[in-house]
Amino acid sequence: MQVVTENYGAQSPEKLIHRLVAQLGNHALWDALLIFLPPLIVAIYLLVYFFQAAWIGPLGLFLMIVTVAGLVLLAVLFRYRPLVPSVGSAARLVDDHTGAKDRFLTLLTIEPSPNAASLVSRLRMEAAQFQTRIELKRDFPFQIKRSFYWSVFGSMVAALLFHLFLPTVHSILHPLPTHERLRQLAEKMAQRPRLSELARGLQTLATKIEDPKSAAPEKQALIQQMQEKVEEQQKRPEQKDNQDLLGEASSTLQGLEQQSGGGQNQQKDQDKGGGGIQSNLPQEGQGEGKQSQGSGGDSKNDQKAQLSKEMEQGKSAQGAPQDQGKENNQQKSGEGKGTQPDPNKPDRNQNNEATGKTAGTTAESGGRGKPSEEIPRGPPPAERFNPGGDQGKEGIKGARYVTVQLPEELAADAKGESTVTREGRGGQVRPKIPVSNVPLPAHVPDAPTEKQQMPLEYRGVIR
Amino acid sequence: MEPENFQVMFRRLEAEVQKVIVGNSDVIRKVLIAFFAGGHVLLEGVPGLGKTLLVKSLSQALGMSFKRIQFTPDLMPSDIVGTEVLTESNGRREFQFKKGPIFAHVVLADEINRATPKTQSAVLEAMEEKQVTVFGESHLLESPFIVLATQNPIELEGTYPLPEAQLDRFFFKLLVTSPSPAELREILQRTTGAETSEISKVLPDDSGKMIAAMTQLLRQVLIAPPIEDYVVRLVHATQPHSSNGGVAGAPVKQYLRFGSSPRGAQSVILGAKGNALAEGRVHVSYEDVEKVIYPALRHRIILNFQAEAENVNTDQILAEVIKQVRRN
Repeated sequence: MQVVTENYGAQSPEKLIHRLVAQLGNHALWDALLIFLPPLIVAIYLLVYFFQAAWIGPLGLFLMIVTVAGLVLLAVLFRYRPLVPSVGSAARLVDDHTGAKDRFLTLLTIEPSPNAASLVSRLRMEAAQFQTRIELKRDFPFQIKRSFYWSVFGSMVAALLFHLFLPTVHSILHPLPTHERLRQLAEKMAQRPRLSELARGLQTLATKIEDPKSAAPEKQALIQQMQEKVEEQQKRPEQKDNQDLLGEASSTLQGLEQQSGGGQNQQKDQDKGGGGIQSNLPQEGQGEGKQSQGSGGDSKNDQKAQLSKEMEQGKSAQGAPQDQGKENNQQKSGEGKGTQPDPNKPDRNQNNEATGKTAGTTAESGGRGKPSEEIPRGPPPAERFNPGGDQGKEGIKGARYVTVQLPEELAADAKGESTVTREGRGGQVRPKIPVSNVPLPAHVPDAPTEKQQMPLEYRGVIR
Repeated sequence: MEPENFQVMFRRLEAEVQKVIVGNSDVIRKVLIAFFAGGHVLLEGVPGLGKTLLVKSLSQALGMSFKRIQFTPDLMPSDIVGTEVLTESNGRREFQFKKGPIFAHVVLADEINRATPKTQSAVLEAMEEKQVTVFGESHLLESPFIVLATQNPIELEGTYPLPEAQLDRFFFKLLVTSPSPAELREILQRTTGAETSEISKVLPDDSGKMIAAMTQLLRQVLIAPPIEDYVVRLVHATQPHSSNGGVAGAPVKQYLRFGSSPRGAQSVILGAKGNALAEGRVHVSYEDVEKVIYPALRHRIILNFQAEAENVNTDQILAEVIKQVRRN
């Protein structure tokens, strides 16, 4: 056995491999850090943005930055640990670079046994000869990996998207008031000479809408006036270049008109809905009615605003008298918190009761009745009909039903008779509970035929 | 023995055999590796490729005793291992064991697949235990002992293919291929001229000791645990129905009936060690493993009917296995 000299120059092959492991470990750490650095920077930037926008306070900012930094550190750790090379893999790297045919791998991973000591030392010597072919810094330089560039790109895209969608999200979450929208539009129009007059008009309208003292009809009239002006301008050939702004103004004004018109219509509904039908069925379109009432009425007014479609049809058939019975409604509810009284139309108070009755009747007749038609007589609507939300004396809690109260029954109720049991005309026993959801009586072959109830709208005529 | 001495001796033996055998240098090297690893070799090739000559030359180069057994259907086990014969000496008759041709260092079992299974199995004990038992008496074979069996892959009529158990006892199965035109020209020049090559003995007179030392050195060759693990995974990947975490790929599942035995893994490791020493290294590399995996495993994996029908051979399966199993 030849004597193996243990002089391996600067370091032994084992030390070289351990140095390489440390170096590659550092590279892996840098790789992991670089991947998560851009998202961290973007996250901190967003947090600072939120802080400057006063969405979060200084303590929140601090806590969130600490949390984000902690999360990033954890992510770096999880990414880094599997990337740290083992001694074996580092040795294989060196073998591949030097063409040592797995000498470093064998030397670094083998468990030396006494009988093979000479072979191990021989192997170490051979590996040391190959060691001169490698220089760690030259052969294993640190290179920024593609994942870093992807991370930078992704982070920048995320920041960009944030800035792109922030105004949209903000406007959805906090929509601009109508007068502000009008003002913005007016400012845009003011920059174009041909639209300066319209711009001034819109400014005035915005001021009016903003002013709580100005009356609704006045606003309505102003809106209609502005709309006409806009339409007129749209038709002019010289305004071809301004069609975009005019279209925008037109749609805004239309929306505004519908908004204010809807509110008034809803008030009409409330006025007309003084009697007839009460329902606890879920209704659509509650929001509009409330919005038109300003701050929103009490629960009774809300429920009355949700009348059935037949009633709405009845109103339209009547020619939509806008504020009929409004004050009547206020009286009936006794609270009238949400409704805005119209001080400009005091003369309508005179016919409150009459219009209220008409409205109630026409509502039930599905719009076919005429204003001149004779109406059922009896106490005023407020007394004849159950108030909104009241399920009646025999109401079933939580049931889905429609209560129809006829004027005769109401009169009987006023006298103290129960609507539950009472002999009807012709001595027939009438149902004890509201008629609408009562199951039909069992068929008796020889029983006298039940007299059909006369439709409400014809009763006055036949009598 | 020093690794350098091993390499020198190995190279000299190779060169000596190559004096008479042209080409097939890989076969010669593998036969020598199997010899120093203590294994037996199955040589497969068509007639006339020099299989018998190779074995004869090897025994001459090694300076070992050589016997040839021509396997035929009427060959009896006693014709191989020997038998008790009645002898008379000094007026007394007694049975005396007469050794068969198996009692030699290098035994050529020519056309082993022509003998009946009964006769073939007689060689089994000799190959594995390095002893024979006749009439209840065991007789040790000489050491070193190597059986070099040949078989013809094309003449299968009237043959008895070796059973899997017997195939498993061969360290390597080597395929002797036809010579290239240049090699054939060389063969003609050497064999049809007036001058013929003579093989000289390479090993010294105490060749037994030297061979034992070389065998000992071969087993000391270093092998890294990741390379050992690679061999384990390779052998395990040949199991088509492995229930203990095997990684059998699609070709293995499709074409194999049985995978390699643990003897296969032993052959791979020892063969790789022999190859490393032959190349002057004291450690096994991944390349050594991949060089010996074909001769070590090709006869240990059993093809199914589909593979036979589609003419898929074991070397193709092993190539797929090597592709699938990653180095550590």
